[in-house]
Amino acid sequence: MMSRVVGVIVITLFITVFSLVIALGGLGYVLPPESVRELARQYLLIAYNPFNKTFTVFSPEVVTSIVWDFRGLDTLFETVVFYLAIIGSVALARGFKSSKPEKDISQYGLSPIVKTVTRVTVGMILAVATSIALHGHLTPGGGFQGGATAAVVPLLVLVIFSRYYLETRGVSKNAMLAIRSFGLIGIGLTAFIVLIIGLMSGMNAYVFQNQPKPDAPVGLPALFDGQIISGTLWFFNLFEMFAVAAGFTIVFLLLSIPERDVFKYLKEEGGEY
Amino acid sequence: MEPDILIIGIMGFLGLISVIATYLAVTEKNLVRAVIYSAIQSTIYAFLYFLLMAPDIVLVYVPVAVGLYPAIILFLIRKTEHEERD
Repeated sequence: MMSRVVGVIVITLFITVFSLVIALGGLGYVLPPESVRELARQYLLIAYNPFNKTFTVFSPEVVTSIVWDFRGLDTLFETVVFYLAIIGSVALARGFKSSKPEKDISQYGLSPIVKTVTRVTVGMILAVATSIALHGHLTPGGGFQGGATAAVVPLLVLVIFSRYYLETRGVSKNAMLAIRSFGLIGIGLTAFIVLIIGLMSGMNAYVFQNQPKPDAPVGLPALFDGQIISGTLWFFNLFEMFAVAAGFTIVFLLLSIPERDVFKYLKEEGGEY
Repeated sequence: MEPDILIIGIMGFLGLISVIATYLAVTEKNLVRAVIYSAIQSTIYAFLYFLLMAPDIVLVYVPVAVGLYPAIILFLIRKTEHEERD
């Protein structure tokens, strides 16, 4: 206990002195420049530029433009990594089944006060999550952010109600796997949609193309009924939200299986060999 | 006092607290308390990202690092022991 107090004091003193030395120029003045760097300036200019229709993303949100257009393939493979992580946990927990509830479902979980508050807030969290994802091409946010926010809802319900309550509402592992597959298929289709349109109309097109380019005149529309949807960005955000929210929910459902059920299954499984 | 200097001062103070919280989380033997220290550090980082004008990171950091990550670790601790042994 005493050594930890000494440790905290030493760390505090070290950081304070080190910050003071840097602030007084002890390591020279290597502060970041105040002006925007050239690369960032280019991105800011290109992201929404209606005057140069063949060299823009039509999205005022530069981060989403970078994530799903300029380096779209990179984000696709990030999604694949997440997909593999979830597949790994599903494979580890194959065959595990949760037992039936021993008492009435309403008797599980926390007090009625907490449950009522949760019932109100769950709707609000879902609304915020949808807004973050579907406005991802206009304001800060995007598919992953919206999906992670939406994944808080099943976690809250799992802790405050019970996993049995979640299952009676249709949130089971297989349902979530189906939703996640829907999201991933959507992401894959969106990545190829412009290429498919190009092939069908006999024009040049690229994988992961969004807006028309000088040598590839096809692309998804930037506006839908007067509203900016930035071509593929809106669809990527929508499908990514489904994939991420369902993926996180699968992990929570697997983690919430009681240990005794897992051991029971493992014993039965071991008996066969 | 200029507002910029004030914000930089607040950021420095928050950063200092986050380092202390990280140190306590690493040295703590009670795993539940360690997760709470880690969550304090995550909350401070969320504020820091906001003050550094990175709202995209804040939006992903708040649900993941403040909500989902401590919850998953607490789930796992419930399945093992609460105290770390030497």
